[in-house]
Amino acid sequence: MQHGFEEVLAPNLYYDRHFEMDAVKILPGEYYVSTREILMVTVLGSCVGACIRDRIRGIGGINHFMLPDDKREDNERFSRSMRYGDYAMEILINQLIKLGARRSNLEAKVFGGGNVLPGFKNHVVGERNAEFVIEYLTTEGIPVVARDLLGNYPRKVYFFPTSGRVLVKKLRSMHNDTIIERELSYSETLRRAKVEGEVELFS
Amino acid sequence: MAKTILTVDDSASIRQMVSFTLKEAGYTVTEAVDGQDGLDKARSGKFDLIFTDQNMPRMDGLSLIKQLRALPTYKSVPILMLTTESSDAMKSQGRAVGATGWLVKPFDPAKLLEVVRKVIG
Repeated sequence: MQHGFEEVLAPNLYYDRHFEMDAVKILPGEYYVSTREILMVTVLGSCVGACIRDRIRGIGGINHFMLPDDKREDNERFSRSMRYGDYAMEILINQLIKLGARRSNLEAKVFGGGNVLPGFKNHVVGERNAEFVIEYLTTEGIPVVARDLLGNYPRKVYFFPTSGRVLVKKLRSMHNDTIIERELSYSETLRRAKVEGEVELFS
Repeated sequence: MAKTILTVDDSASIRQMVSFTLKEAGYTVTEAVDGQDGLDKARSGKFDLIFTDQNMPRMDGLSLIKQLRALPTYKSVPILMLTTESSDAMKSQGRAVGATGWLVKPFDPAKLLEVVRKVIG
């Protein structure tokens, strides 16, 4: 990946022949928002993805992230890794609000948090991500209307933002290690990044 | 007497995090859930420092700063933006409406306190 810890707008647009519609592929550390019906597709291993939409106005978006593996303080609510999670979620919600969504109309469907990465401390990476996303949405008062979290397999998620429909395919067998490699690379980027924004005083 | 800080953000998670950090350091903190709520609370009190987010329902951060700067009480009180917005264009707008500084999320609590101490002691 070219970027650091910053969440970026997914650039991978394509035409999905199966669903016969425009689609966008969301990779780890990316998000996408839209006011029109565009299929949002992502493959989640231990990462989580939140599909959030304004249920009245049909404006929706999705993200794909994990908490940085912070060995010192990873279970404290205000730790570095939790702050990153807050940031990843806020970026998505802010973009939806900019497109005209109302915070009070938002609802969420959340997926991922599988136990798929080898060699991670206690193999609880997915669990931490899943717990975080539920806790965050509860704190923000955004109802979670559907979820498919945890388990030992990756998931392919298809989100139709204007209707809110989500299709989830559980990937019981993987043909290659691409998902794991991408997540490990993302995890490494987050581990190295400072995960804090700039400070500038004007006077 | 403890210095008073108003933190304006539509995200409950961020409000909790900012409040926790500031209270631990001995400041008295009041929370507001959006720009309008922030303006109402600022009018009914006198704060030594205000933190505000940019993207919020009802009134955004830049509009809030503009309104606050028009009030004699808040003409020279430090107002810091705490936002996910990081573009130079947005920062310029912040400077133009009278923001004291710009902090980009995610924030580091130690750095946040460093800035607070710098602007209000």
